[in-house]
Amino acid sequence: MSKLIEQPRYSCALGAQQSVIAIKRAVPILHSGPGCGDKINRLLGQGEGYAGGNTVPCTNASESEIVFGGESKLGTVIEGAFQVIDADLYVVLTGCTSDIIGDDVAQVTSRYQEQDKPIVYVETGGFKSNNYVSHETVVKGIIDQYVDKFKIGSHKIKRLVNVFATIPYQDAFWNGNLEEIKRILEGIGLTVNILFGAESQGIEEWKTIPQAEFNIVVSAWAGLEIAEHLKNKYGTPYTHFSYLPIGGLETTKFLRQVVAFGALDVDYAEAFIKKEEEKFYMHIERMADFMLEFRYGLPRRFYTILDASYAIGFSKYLLNELGILPTKQFIIDDTPEVFQGAIHEQFEKISEFRSAKVSFSIDAGAIQEEIRNDEHKSRGLILGSAWERDLATDIGADLLIVSVPVAYRLILNCGYAGYNGGLRVIEDIYGKVLDTYR
Amino acid sequence: MKINFKTPVVESREQRLGTIISWDGKASDLSKESAYARGSCETTCGEKSRKLCEIEGPFTQGSVCSEQMVECQAGHIRNAVLIQHSPIGCGAGQVIYNSIYRNGLAGRNLPVENQHVICTNLLEEDMVYGGVAKLEQSIRDAWERYHPKAIFIATSCATGIIGDDVDGTASQMETELKIPVIPLHCEGFKSKHWSTGFDATQHGIIRQVVRKNPKKQEDLVNVINLWGSDIFTPMLAELGLRVNYVVDLATVEDLEQLSEAAATVGFCYTLSSYMAAGLEQEFGVPEIKAPQPYGFAGTDAWFRELARVTHREEKAEAYIAKEHARIAPRLTELRTLLKGKKGYVATGSAYAHGLITVLRELGVEVNGSLVFHHDPIYDSQDPRQDSLAHVVDNYGDVSHFTVSNRQQHQFYSLLKRVNPDFILIRHNGLAPLASRMGIPAAPLGDEHHSLGYQGIINLGESILDILAHKKFHQDLASHTKLPYKQWWLDQEDPFILAKEENPLYTEGKKHA
Repeated sequence: MSKLIEQPRYSCALGAQQSVIAIKRAVPILHSGPGCGDKINRLLGQGEGYAGGNTVPCTNASESEIVFGGESKLGTVIEGAFQVIDADLYVVLTGCTSDIIGDDVAQVTSRYQEQDKPIVYVETGGFKSNNYVSHETVVKGIIDQYVDKFKIGSHKIKRLVNVFATIPYQDAFWNGNLEEIKRILEGIGLTVNILFGAESQGIEEWKTIPQAEFNIVVSAWAGLEIAEHLKNKYGTPYTHFSYLPIGGLETTKFLRQVVAFGALDVDYAEAFIKKEEEKFYMHIERMADFMLEFRYGLPRRFYTILDASYAIGFSKYLLNELGILPTKQFIIDDTPEVFQGAIHEQFEKISEFRSAKVSFSIDAGAIQEEIRNDEHKSRGLILGSAWERDLATDIGADLLIVSVPVAYRLILNCGYAGYNGGLRVIEDIYGKVLDTYR
Repeated sequence: MKINFKTPVVESREQRLGTIISWDGKASDLSKESAYARGSCETTCGEKSRKLCEIEGPFTQGSVCSEQMVECQAGHIRNAVLIQHSPIGCGAGQVIYNSIYRNGLAGRNLPVENQHVICTNLLEEDMVYGGVAKLEQSIRDAWERYHPKAIFIATSCATGIIGDDVDGTASQMETELKIPVIPLHCEGFKSKHWSTGFDATQHGIIRQVVRKNPKKQEDLVNVINLWGSDIFTPMLAELGLRVNYVVDLATVEDLEQLSEAAATVGFCYTLSSYMAAGLEQEFGVPEIKAPQPYGFAGTDAWFRELARVTHREEKAEAYIAKEHARIAPRLTELRTLLKGKKGYVATGSAYAHGLITVLRELGVEVNGSLVFHHDPIYDSQDPRQDSLAHVVDNYGDVSHFTVSNRQQHQFYSLLKRVNPDFILIRHNGLAPLASRMGIPAAPLGDEHHSLGYQGIINLGESILDILAHKKFHQDLASHTKLPYKQWWLDQEDPFILAKEENPLYTEGKKHA
């Protein structure tokens, strides 16, 4: 398997700066080279939000810090950030420079932690991992160094849950997805700490993380570490739904799993599910004639070049509810080997009658070549990123951009999770199809 | 001072030119302090003698690195591949450069394609054992995938610190593949200003791509630019000259013939300084030494000098007279429409000098400007290229002239003190803040937009456009909160943190 990466779809460990930015009024402080934050912002993120992009404080490592160490520079930048940037939480993230030369960032940051400043540090030197992994590291860091200290209480609050469902900005639809997941979980009677984005209460919400009755992980693998950590730390049990639930079938399945795990009021939950399903399938029914009668070709088969959570979620939905058949699926999130078996299994039994081939590769240059060399008999659909634009044109496929880089679409609160997300997927795919109608 | 092409490592701007990234005062003072050959100092002045006082503050925000400039130069050569020898985070920057590349190609009617960039994806074990094996494999893969005419390698902070022998690997692979394999040393920490990245790319091209035994082409002019629209072809055709655009969107063949041209010009001395001086030094290709081609004075002088060097003087005057006459009626109208408007320029260094002159031609008031760095001198060391002095001497002083390397926190008070009606930008990052203050920004994506005679008209029209959507910005301003503390927003001096009496300094002392 090739180790190089052509056409990146994730970032390095420092990419977790975007996770920090996704917390309301939180700001990263980078102890890194001058271009790191800007580069990451190009791949992960549209718009800089409250204190992202060019607002992010950074030590802008220069030769003298490499030679003499960068601890004192970090100290002054931290102090400057306290004075200049209006934030509730400051998260120091290191880059390659600091981690290779071995700056004692813990020691620098602890000075301010001792003064009860809301500051956390995490080592995120680019080579250490990608941002799927470091998202977990950063969230754990915030829990250990901030939440634990400032937590409101330790007693569990009935029906309160923490949700770890997407990697903000790495999932371009994170905000919309989290809004929908919060909405449906509230629908079945839960109080939800969604932790990131517009529907979150910011750090006040984080302070109640230890009080959750249980945690919910919605992800193939990234985020599980956090739930494990909270289980060990606060004894909070968790339930794991291993992909993004999209549409009627899977969303209901997800909610029922949560209901069973949390021993929630079944009647209450089922009443909500029924209402949601009714709405969902009313729309599906409404478009059935279009699906059956459209004369100029609809996509009949699809490729995914997505991360594991999205690949499974989309494959199940497209196959089981829209009748589009899976060809080969490519998972590009550098899934750790230990999780690959379970993902294979999901694709094995993607529906009652079908299985789909899946392969793991981080080098999309090679993936595109493989797709290009396939036989393209019927109209295809690619669920991928902006990198696939020419490929889609060349093989006459429709392209729905789901993965970063998104480049050709602007995403605000659009989400693909849940019942509403499922409808949105249909609008977006067939909007593309209709757009080719002369 | 000779440029050293013997070593594969480019000398940084601060070493060569005395570049600074932080300064605040009157443009005239900066110009004087830059010790260009204005007074006693001749062109021989200074083996690195230019020492400008720099205000070094304790607080900084993220900026840009040299490697990014390599991405947007070496990464934009059409039949070459750029290998980023780095962890994958450095590759995240490809997204914007790919978009720029594709749109640039479209703008020049060239076939649109994704850029050819490969990242070696260095991991923790590579930091321990070194990454040259991965680099070698990636070079082979690049060859297999694209059969390029040249392969460029961008180093990164990580490889710079662990000391991978990139030069050795490159030269071994060059022998094996029989194409230029060019290491570009552009570690982010090596230079405080990213424009060194331009120099790194240009250094590699001159060393390893440019034809060493040039056959002169007397009607060919190198135009060192980015991806801007093709305005040079018709302009230079007036003199019977052909254009060789480099570095972005060029082919390796275009780069090879750099040494064969009759002259080299650019749209911005920040970008073109190194390569133009290098080509003159190594191959005798004359660099056009004149003010930059902005506004009447600059464009007239630039065009005349180009005509002189290429022996086409008689054709120049006709063109100049024709263009003056052509734009005069609309310029008169624009001057009326823009009367009383205040503009602020926040772009790269030499480019800002150009834009200020254009704004003043349009009768727009310019009391403030921000440049991301300042080169006290360019590589030619020729006073005719002193672009800041050209502004001050021909168009008057700029009272609030600031050097600040994309420090957004300073931008608030910079704008407050001059209170402009609009700002001109080219780089992302500053406009969102201006927007949240209710000030519209014109993003000049096409770097040629304001150049030459037509550029005066173009910029005027753009300003009218952006002033028309002021409502959006005012609405935004009344519904958003800036991410800065009130204490900071109340400060009048954007450099207060660097001054002794600043409370932060005392705080720092306590911990020292």
